[in-house]
This record gives sequence, structure tokens and C-alpha cells, in this order.
Amino acid sequence: MKPGALTYFRAESVQQAVDLLVAGGMDAKVLAGGQSLVPMLNLRMVAAERLVDISAVPALKAWSADSNQVRIGACNTHEQIQLGEVADPSNGLMPKVAAAIAYQAVRNRGTIGGSLALADPSADWVTTMAALGATIEWEGPDGPSSSPAEEFVAAAYTTRLGMSDLLTGIRIPRLDPDAKWGTYKICRKTGEFAHAMAMVIRAPKASRAFLGATDGAPIRLPHTEQVVGDLRDWQAAHAKVLSDAMDADLGASGRELTDVQIWQSRTCLLRSVQMSFGVEAIQPESV
Amino acid sequence: MQAIELTINGESLKTTVDPRTTLADFLREQADARSIHLGCEHGVCGGCTIVINGKIARSCIALAVAMGGAEIWTLEGMRDDPAIVQLRDSFHRCHGLQCGYCTPGMLITARDIIARYGNPEERILREALAGNICRCTGYAGIVKAVQHAAVRLEQHPNDASGATSLEAVSPR
Repeated sequence: MKPGALTYFRAESVQQAVDLLVAGGMDAKVLAGGQSLVPMLNLRMVAAERLVDISAVPALKAWSADSNQVRIGACNTHEQIQLGEVADPSNGLMPKVAAAIAYQAVRNRGTIGGSLALADPSADWVTTMAALGATIEWEGPDGPSSSPAEEFVAAAYTTRLGMSDLLTGIRIPRLDPDAKWGTYKICRKTGEFAHAMAMVIRAPKASRAFLGATDGAPIRLPHTEQVVGDLRDWQAAHAKVLSDAMDADLGASGRELTDVQIWQSRTCLLRSVQMSFGVEAIQPESV
Repeated sequence: MQAIELTINGESLKTTVDPRTTLADFLREQADARSIHLGCEHGVCGGCTIVINGKIARSCIALAVAMGGAEIWTLEGMRDDPAIVQLRDSFHRCHGLQCGYCTPGMLITARDIIARYGNPEERILREALAGNICRCTGYAGIVKAVQHAAVRLEQHPNDASGATSLEAVSPR
């Protein structure tokens, strides 16, 4: 199918983009890489009378780094992160995540800011940014604002961004150089949106564990984080302890997952913890 | 209608376009790029894969109006590209196509895989091909064809002379 009628504006600056969004009100949508928005326009799941293309705004394509953090502009692509063209604050976690998003042809154009602003629960960056303790920044009619990534997503496709706000960038604190991470997602076909996802970071000071690809925001697992923090190696017996901790966390979270989602999440969590200890996941035999 | 100016297969084009036109429709209708095949029109099947500013992309989920200043290559403009010449030959030899609908997208994706990974192990190759769907279930032949081309290009990176005898049967 083809998109419905629309008007197109290419913004030259953040301020101009915000002005265009304000003028368009409810009918305006931000176009970055377009890898989710244009399919939805084609399918007419979304109508946008006014598209504001931000992909040419220089400030949004930039990134910067210092000894404490990396700030990535919203329009950096998954491919740039995959190839390490953007400084990596995450000891390799972000390039690994980026390399497993959709397909190369999509990674070449899709942006980290677009993925976060859309907030598909199955999208990789929503969970990754929460796990890394990142801060999401935006600009709007009321000026600049920001939110911890963990609190940015309110529900599926719903963020703290207002109608005319423009996500401008992400500040990501540098992981401790000794921190180890693991992540695993379940996709029935390579490149499709995940059915379940987990991310574990074992840092000397505090460990973090999240489940993604839920019905809404990523779920933080505080009990599991304590268990993970106490582990010194991987043993089969740890699976039970981690499973119990995850069940306790899910119970306390007030979120309702189906039995299948719980089983898939458990698999992802255990494989993530294994991976953080360098235990290789079993690869399917090559055909 | 909005004015755009871009380069398609080495030729600059200045024209106007309805903002809702996808890049795929624009290239097929205004640049005669009929190698672009539309399967799903939402970025899943890979049949419309082209090269935008040196990187492969899906032309069905890009808007033509947003392509101002872009340099675009479709299979039409790559007739003499050494990798494409070799891939055409390899797809022919290894039975990498049946109906041919997915083939233009497969060729452009395969060219990108070889440029990125050289001659990758089969698991990586299959994952990298996963974004291009073939419904004749020809993946075994396609994987073999890309491996065949990768080896030949490794041995003779700039010499595609082995393929010239097949020029007559190769797709335009």
C-alpha cells in the first residue's frame, strides 16, 4: 500500500523542527530514518498530514564523548553504532545490540532516536538504554527537558515526549571498564522484532538486570540484580536461584506476562547471565 | 508537488514529486528502474533493495521527497560493476534463482555482504541474507551462489572476465 496525502518539511535546525511540530499540532510527525514510520504510513496505520524530516539537522547527527559519558545525537544510525563509528560507552554492548537490529539495509537508515521516540516495547534500544542508565534529552515548545531512560517509556508506543517535543539525544554514562554484560533475545526469524529479551550488566559496584519486549516499558529486576551481583562464576545450580529471583521480581512489578512470555524471558535472562561469564550459548548446527 | 534534485545511476535528475511517493515508485516510474521489485511495501521482503549514498536500503520505506541531494544506484546502473557481474554469473551457475522476483534485491544485498565480510562463514551469510525473502525456497542455491561469487572475487577482485560468456543470458 501507499501513504496517504501528506506535506513534507525538511528542518535545518532543532528549533525549526520544533516550530514546525508546534505549527502542525496533532497532524505532525517526526521523520528521522523512517524505518518504522514509513512502513506504518504505507500500511496506513499512521496518518501524518505533516512530516518534519530531521535527518539533515547537523546537531542531531553529531556525537561527543568525555571520560564520564557519551552523548549520541538522535539521528545516529544503528549502523554507525554497529561499526563503532560512534564512541562506545558500554564495553561492546551497544555495537552488539545494534548489529542484531532488523537487517543491514534497515540498520543503515534507522536511528537510535527514532527507535526510542517510537518506543515499540520489542525494540532493542528501549531496553538497552534503561539497562545502561542513560538519560534521554528532548527539546520542545517549553524548552529543553530530559528523563532517565528507565522512566522514559510509560507504555507501549507511549513516552514522556509531548505532542511537539523532539528527542534530540541520549547521554550514556560510561560503564566501569571491569563491568561484564550479557544479552539475549528470542526471535523466530532473524531480524524480526523480539518476543522476549533480557539484558544483564555485572558491574563491580551495582549490577543491573532488565527484561524487554514486554507489553510496555522494560521491567527492572531488583532481586535478580542482587543475586547476579553475588555470583562469582557460572554453575548450573544458579539457574534455579536466578529463576526464583526473576519470579519474585515479576510478582513485585505488578506486570502480567503470559506463561510463554515468562518462559521465554527466563531463557533470555539465564543466557544473558551465562554470556556475562563468557559461557557461549549453544549455536544451532550449520546446515 | 515538491521539487527535488538527486543523482540516479550517475545521472542527475531535477524534477517534482508528490511528497507521499515512495522512493521505489519514484525510481520505477520516473527513472525506469524496473529492477526494483515491490513485494511487501513495508520493508520486510528486500525486493526493492537499492544503494543510497553508498549504503544498501529499502526503497519502499524511503520517501522520494526526502532524497534531495542523494546519490542513488539501482541494479540498472551496476551492469559493469565487477561484483555484480560475478554475482550474476554465480547465481546462474549455482541455480540461485527460479522465478527471479527476489533476484535484484538478492544481488545488491549479496554485493554488500561480500563488501562487508569478504567470504563469511555460512551462519553469518545466512543471517545477512535473512532480510531478503525468496518464495521459490531457493535459499540453498542462493547461499551457494554468494559463496561461489565471494571466492571468485577474493581470487580475482577486479577481473570478472569469467562471467562475460554469460552476458547474453544475464538479466538486464
